[in-house]
Amino acid sequence: MNCEEFRLNLHQEARYPGARLRDHAGACRECAALLEREQALVAGFRALAAEWSGVEAPGVVERRLVAAFRGHAGLAAVRAKRPWWVPVVTWGTAAAAVAVMALFLVRGKQPEPARRVIPRGVELAMVLPGDPNLATAQMYADGDFIPLPSASGMEPGEEVNLVRVELPRSSMIALGFTVSAERAAEPVEADVMLGLDGVARAVRFVDE
Amino acid sequence: MKENSPPSDEDLLIGVRSGDEEAFLTLYRRRQAAIFRFALHMSMSPALAEDVTQEVFLALLREDCGYDSARGVLAAYLFGIARKLVLRHLERGRTSIAIDVDTEDVLPELAVHAGTLENLTRKEGIEALHKAVLALPRRYREVVVLCDLEELDYADAAVALGCPIGTVRSRLHRARALLLDKLSQERGLRPSMGALKPARCFI
Repeated sequence: MNCEEFRLNLHQEARYPGARLRDHAGACRECAALLEREQALVAGFRALAAEWSGVEAPGVVERRLVAAFRGHAGLAAVRAKRPWWVPVVTWGTAAAAVAVMALFLVRGKQPEPARRVIPRGVELAMVLPGDPNLATAQMYADGDFIPLPSASGMEPGEEVNLVRVELPRSSMIALGFTVSAERAAEPVEADVMLGLDGVARAVRFVDE
Repeated sequence: MKENSPPSDEDLLIGVRSGDEEAFLTLYRRRQAAIFRFALHMSMSPALAEDVTQEVFLALLREDCGYDSARGVLAAYLFGIARKLVLRHLERGRTSIAIDVDTEDVLPELAVHAGTLENLTRKEGIEALHKAVLALPRRYREVVVLCDLEELDYADAAVALGCPIGTVRSRLHRARALLLDKLSQERGLRPSMGALKPARCFI
């Protein structure tokens, strides 16, 4: 071993110098001094390590870790003990539920008969084509309908539409009815007789 | 696992993974002090060392802790985690460690009063050596703590530090030279490091 090899191995072997290292140190004063210094340092490290050997983490760390371990192990045990068929049944049930729901939705999409929607406020609309008994001035003459002041008179045999509407009771005042102030805002149902030109000819109050 | 011989760390880890609390406790009690001391030497903060020790063993409980026995022994892996945690904390609060100067040639001045190499095993000598170790730049301090105080071999230290074994060797060489220089300067036993011009560590 030469001096270069000695120095290369000095740090690693200073704790327990091998025969070759010792032999070289015996023959080389400079390397012997290096070995001595290195071994003094190693002795210092050992003494320092011994002084610190009693230093350790506080007991609270162990307690916290044991608690964490139990929590972790508990979860792991629950996962481990679950029978193999539980996820199979769970997923199977979920798949069946999805299939039933899909079937229900598909069947529900089949066309259904159109529903007749009657808008609120317009209860009735009827066309009376060519029925002179109902559609003409006969109704007028029956006295149910009150001619509107601004409307032209009905021609015999004229076709009309009847529309049921809700009006404020106060609108009856214009036709000569007496309406108390308390009830003026109340709604009242009325049939309005419209000519084919769309102009209202007469009105009949259903519930006075 | 052999009979009549203590289980290895790796055997204990297998027990830990299967929910064996006794294995976890045995492993913890076997390794906690070294991890705590390492963190304490690196941070000089008992509270931080406590947190780091706890975090290191909590990491073991995670399935994806990343330990690979092919890359090194479990102890080296634990030191590696501790090192990363300490560095992370130190980088967050740099002001907490005033002596953590990470430069090659600057060694902070120390109050090393009884720094002879002959009395390093006495109380004053031990204290002087400890101060000198704490004054080392971080990269040298960690390798001294691992190899010289906790007696990890170079290969395990390389795993813990995440560097090649040659880097461990060169850092130790440099660290010991810095320590010897500091301790000797007090008594004029040796010329300063500047005068010796040691080979510069490029890693």
